[in-house]
Amino acid sequence: MIDYGHDLLFGAFITPTNSPPMHAVDMAIAADRAGLDLATFQDHPYQPSFHDTWTLLSYAAARTERIRLSGNVLNLPLRDPAVLARSAASLDLLSGGRFELGIGAGGFWDAIEAMGGRRLTPGQSIEALEEAIRIFRGIWATDATGRLVVDGSFYRVNGAKRGPKPAHDIGVWVGAYKPRILRMTGRAADGWLPSLAYLPGGPRDLTAMNAHIDEGATRAGRDPRSIRRLLNISGQFSATGRGLLVGPPEQWVDQLTGIALEYGISGFIVTADDEATIQLFAEVAAGVRRQVAAERG
Amino acid sequence: MSPTRKVTFGLALTPSATHPEHTIAQAQLGERSGFDLVTLLRAPGQVVDGWTLLSWIAGSTERIGLLGQLACLPSEMPTVTAGAAASLDLLSQGRLTLAITSDEPSDDNQHPVEGVEETLDIIRRMWAIGEPGTVRYTGNVHRVDGAQRGPAPAHDVPLLITGDSPELLRLAGEKSDGWLSEINGSSLDRFIAGSTLIGHTAVANGRDPREVPKIVTIRGTFADTRGGFLHGRSADWVDDLLPLIVDHGVTTLLLATEENAVLQQFAEEVAPRLRDAASSLLPAQTRTGRLRKSTAIAQRRSGIRYDDVPDLLVDSAIEPGDFDFPRVKSTYLRGGSPGLVLRTRTVDEVVAALGFAREHPHLPLSIRSGGHGISGRSTNDGGIVINLSLMNRIDVLDEATRRVRIEPGARWMDVAAALQPYGWALTSGDYGGVGVGGLATAGGIGFLGRGHGLTIDHLRAVDMVLADGSRVRASDTENTELFWAVRGAGANFGIVTAFEFEVDEVGDVGWAQLGLDATDTAEFLEKWGHTSEAAPRDTTSFLIMGPPRHGQPALAQLMAMVDSANPDTIIERLQPFANISPLYSQSVQLMPYAAVMANAQGESNGGQGEPVTRSGLLDHITPEFAAAAARLISSGTVYFFQIRAVGGAISDIDADATAYAHRSANFSVVAFGSHRQRLDAAWEELYPFFTGAYLSFETDPRPERLTDAFPPATLARLREVKARLDPDSVFRDNFPISIPTLTEATS
Repeated sequence: MIDYGHDLLFGAFITPTNSPPMHAVDMAIAADRAGLDLATFQDHPYQPSFHDTWTLLSYAAARTERIRLSGNVLNLPLRDPAVLARSAASLDLLSGGRFELGIGAGGFWDAIEAMGGRRLTPGQSIEALEEAIRIFRGIWATDATGRLVVDGSFYRVNGAKRGPKPAHDIGVWVGAYKPRILRMTGRAADGWLPSLAYLPGGPRDLTAMNAHIDEGATRAGRDPRSIRRLLNISGQFSATGRGLLVGPPEQWVDQLTGIALEYGISGFIVTADDEATIQLFAEVAAGVRRQVAAERG
Repeated sequence: MSPTRKVTFGLALTPSATHPEHTIAQAQLGERSGFDLVTLLRAPGQVVDGWTLLSWIAGSTERIGLLGQLACLPSEMPTVTAGAAASLDLLSQGRLTLAITSDEPSDDNQHPVEGVEETLDIIRRMWAIGEPGTVRYTGNVHRVDGAQRGPAPAHDVPLLITGDSPELLRLAGEKSDGWLSEINGSSLDRFIAGSTLIGHTAVANGRDPREVPKIVTIRGTFADTRGGFLHGRSADWVDDLLPLIVDHGVTTLLLATEENAVLQQFAEEVAPRLRDAASSLLPAQTRTGRLRKSTAIAQRRSGIRYDDVPDLLVDSAIEPGDFDFPRVKSTYLRGGSPGLVLRTRTVDEVVAALGFAREHPHLPLSIRSGGHGISGRSTNDGGIVINLSLMNRIDVLDEATRRVRIEPGARWMDVAAALQPYGWALTSGDYGGVGVGGLATAGGIGFLGRGHGLTIDHLRAVDMVLADGSRVRASDTENTELFWAVRGAGANFGIVTAFEFEVDEVGDVGWAQLGLDATDTAEFLEKWGHTSEAAPRDTTSFLIMGPPRHGQPALAQLMAMVDSANPDTIIERLQPFANISPLYSQSVQLMPYAAVMANAQGESNGGQGEPVTRSGLLDHITPEFAAAAARLISSGTVYFFQIRAVGGAISDIDADATAYAHRSANFSVVAFGSHRQRLDAAWEELYPFFTGAYLSFETDPRPERLTDAFPPATLARLREVKARLDPDSVFRDNFPISIPTLTEATS
């Protein structure tokens, strides 16, 4: 049993398809109306059937009222970190503090290179991400003295003006699986955002992964509880239960409550490209919130 | 769309670092005040991200054009920029213009002008989704190594160049869609010199200088006394600005201001006067104002008199070099490369398009409604396509008699959605993306067929344009022989511009998708056939099988509709089907017919090559037929095999009541293969079982297929109508009915 004590967040993982062009926006609006906390989009700029995720996030933020938005996760190798930092702060300002920065080190290196991006080894990509996080925080730190200088091995910022100042403390959430990047997440990030589908052992794998994050945080002198643990999930609502996240909403409630309490997960983001799933997940969210609150006492 | 000399007015706003919402509010005020365009100025040291702000403005406005300004930094990848711009254009429904400029040269940015040119080149290539292969590009600044093309923007986004250096001006003249600059009282001479250089460069590159319109940013002060350029009363502003438009080729003025009062005074007093003055002073425009790019003109096909395209159609015509061409050249299942696509919006335009096509009798002519045709080609190579997709109105004419008028370019999912609020439905096919025109002139074998008949059985009248350009109405009381022929062989006789249907009351329906074991395929087919024929008419099911899956049991997908909102009835009707064999998967829902039809996404234009299909109509699935069909399926020759239940209400209609005559059939069979000869050879074994063929699903070009689709009496009657109404065989794109020659008649 582990509980890092965060409020629970529930969100939608929406396919950023560009055909029809408004699908993803409509789903974000539906999630907003249903009362979910997060609308998130994956970011694959080399995928011609997807929208540019940054443009989509900005457009969808303008069309929603209350819901928070995030990349899930943004593709650092194809985005300039200083530009991204200013863009993120701009969107946070415009949206009244509704933006969170989900980011990944990159994965599909052939496609990244085809687009003109730089191929990095996994180790390099983790270092690059840590430098980028330094740049994000430096650009956002408008109260800090002097211009921003980051002299990294992968990114250099030489005396950039800081700002704009975001409307709220934007969370930097890292998509991570392997020990080294998990430790970096503990050291440098505000949140962790893996996908359940990529965990070969299922939820059980979360225990060891949490431990790597905790270790990274502790070594850096941070409280492990300061790192929020989120989880992308997918499943199916059906009348009869047939395993993890395949079954009626009540079964989802029990299973997600279990994952929240057992593994300290405080954010669940469900793959949802139709309004029915969004509605049902909003019901599940209410149930999990009730049960977790009861357990936490 | 190419530039015209219409004057437009924009607003150039400076984003606030602390209160960007003020900029949003100004953009919205600009839209309300009638500005055509909004852009964000790039201030030195600016920290707010312009693209984010512009995307937000796109989301909080409805109509105003968006001009994105982009400085080329070496760290920004043009491939990603292309995707961002395409997305913003798609999300804003085609409101984007993009201006590119160089950043200050620096250690990191040693080739600023090359950076701009490379960015322009790469963006264009990323958007060229009709071109083959991936994008490869090696420049001094940027390198692209096999990036997938796309997404393409919603419209031909103009790519402007910003800058005053001779290199950038030449680049603007050579490659851009416009030049964005700034004018104040002292820079007019520099503007004129720049404009002249651009014009010369354009001409030297074989372009019309009008392909590079001038967009200028201006700023000024309204005052009661005259004080220099753009300082004075509204009339003084008009005096200062009019020469730019009339003498110097400026097409767009961007007013830079932070003051709402200036914005409004300009919108109310300056812009309208400039518009009026310019329209009376500018020389007469080209006949419609459309200017086609020289690069597009270079891609025209031979044998088409492009300059003679009727005035009515010039604006909506699409040529091979046009931006929209990749979206209209191919259909859902068939690749094509026509020489000219004429998109018609009115009956007058259909008549004009047909007249133009008849002046090119040597060229193929295709008629396209939704672009899902299998037998109906809807495209060609080097010929003319009349594209009816813009004629897509759906109107209820009379609620009491449920009379509905539908234009041919509507898609069946839109028809279903339009009828649902009335509690009505019109049976169509199995896919909502299919267009009305092709299906409603051939038959229409759909999920409500056994209870409600074919789509054509609901047809009460058509408005048509015939081969000679005449407009006729056909119904049971007017042009009755034509009305008979249109219902089953309509593609041979003209272009239907409106259908009038009497639709049915249909409530929510039961919609089932069952995955059934078909290891013993023959036994399965036979049982399904019996079950289907024994089912009440409210139940219509379609069966799909694919090629053998190595090492896995054969599986049949059943899609069934029960025309009942009663769950008990639905289950009762479906149970016999579920009992045929072990069930692998099942989904049963109670939903509106319209929700079942809402199964198509995107456009129907991804086809390549030619579909290879055969069709047959069958009275009963006998053990012999089932065995032969099982052999065909297991042979691997077909990758998609479907049987649709017909019969029921379809069989109530007399065989000679419509040109669709095979009313006794209980099943329509279609097979898709990838090899013409192999499929034809394999089909020989099934052929003897069939009583006919459904023309819409048949692609075998051999003339004897006509006799499969139409029994002798029907065919003879069709030939008479053809000889009378289309003696020159203008309509020969979809199973042309030959007119008997002397030799044929006597042999």
